[in-house]
Amino acid sequence: MNNIGYIKLLVIIFIANILESFLAPILIKAYINIPITFLIFSFAIYKSRFNTNALYAFLFGLYVDFISSSPIGLNAALFSMMAYAVNSYSNTFKLFSFIQICMFFSGSATFYIGFSHLFINLENFSYLILFISLIFNTFLFLIISMLRFYFPSLTIK
Amino acid sequence: MSRVAPTSGSKALYFLCITLSAFLLYLDINYKSFERAKNLYKSFTISSSYTIKRITLDPLNYIFEISKEKSKLIEENKKLKQELDNSYIANFILSRDSKFFIDDEAIKKFLDLNKINKPFHLAKINSFDVEKYLCCSQHRMFIKIFNSKDINFIGSTVINDQGILGQIIYDKSIAEILLLTDVSHVMPIISNNHFCNARGSGKPGVITCNYSKLIWPDPIEIGQEFFSSGMGGIYPSNILIGYVSSINAIDDNNIHFDIDLVANPLKSSFIGVLEKL
Repeated sequence: MNNIGYIKLLVIIFIANILESFLAPILIKAYINIPITFLIFSFAIYKSRFNTNALYAFLFGLYVDFISSSPIGLNAALFSMMAYAVNSYSNTFKLFSFIQICMFFSGSATFYIGFSHLFINLENFSYLILFISLIFNTFLFLIISMLRFYFPSLTIK
Repeated sequence: MSRVAPTSGSKALYFLCITLSAFLLYLDINYKSFERAKNLYKSFTISSSYTIKRITLDPLNYIFEISKEKSKLIEENKKLKQELDNSYIANFILSRDSKFFIDDEAIKKFLDLNKINKPFHLAKINSFDVEKYLCCSQHRMFIKIFNSKDINFIGSTVINDQGILGQIIYDKSIAEILLLTDVSHVMPIISNNHFCNARGSGKPGVITCNYSKLIWPDPIEIGQEFFSSGMGGIYPSNILIGYVSSINAIDDNNIHFDIDLVANPLKSSFIGVLEKL
């Protein structure tokens, strides 16, 4: 995938944030949480041909904090951590199968949910949400990654 | 092309960014340092969405309406609207939403039933993060108060036709309500001889209380009614708050119980704001 432009990614994340705010109240009834903005950003840096600058991740995180009314700094820290992890293992990922990569992303998403709930929802922290989200996200990513086999035109080069 | 693993220089930058994020997080959580910027952004999004709706959807609705109705009926409708505009020119929302008057009457009825003589102001919900209300501990609502003039509403009680919803904690162009279920909210409530400071549980429609049997030996029962005590100086007294829904013994002497609130903030888009006690 070509490196996605800043403006394009900003717009995509903005739309993803709106989508997330619509979906989250419905999915939470089934104890499912999908951090769409975080996953889109993670996917963008994973697919990038170059290493992501720490400031890039930090500023995108701040932007998400601002538009999603999370505590300022929460997404900035998590985005920076994710960018560091993806950059560190970018070459190792090439040895991974898509199942392993799906599991990595669902694990990251679960970490994100757990970490953010420690700050915004400590009183009602639920391991059930983490567990169900982990399973749901893993299957969701597997389905999304398998779509390219059935619909080759959807493949992101 | 292979990507290079982070060098020690870039690792230091990552560390710096994460440390800075943690510092910002600390400032925001402990000192609310960025509240103003956040509220400004919220106000901007609310007003821009309203403007966009007015520019895009309203004309389309109007065109649709025209295509549906006969011209005579439209004329009559316009005349009626104009008369309504003249009658209630003070507020344009008043003139458009007939539901407004229904809500007005409902709130008046609630106040009369509870013998509250305080003047109230109608308000419309501008923004309510249902996602956070259903999942998280922070339960806030943003409203636009009509005919507020220069009255400072901070600390005012907010009600709907079912009961008390919370209190206003920020009042500029858009007022922010701290709902009873927000974990940072505490409210003194009473039932017969039982008195307790009910805390928001972070769960929708539920507040919680703790009490000691050593102080109040009478047992609490499921379904028992709790009322506002009026002792906090914020809320009027003797308003039904809710019913006991579950009771858990912490130890031999201490009891924890949940109260299901009678007032649901999702019920109506119009609410009433009482002037301060």
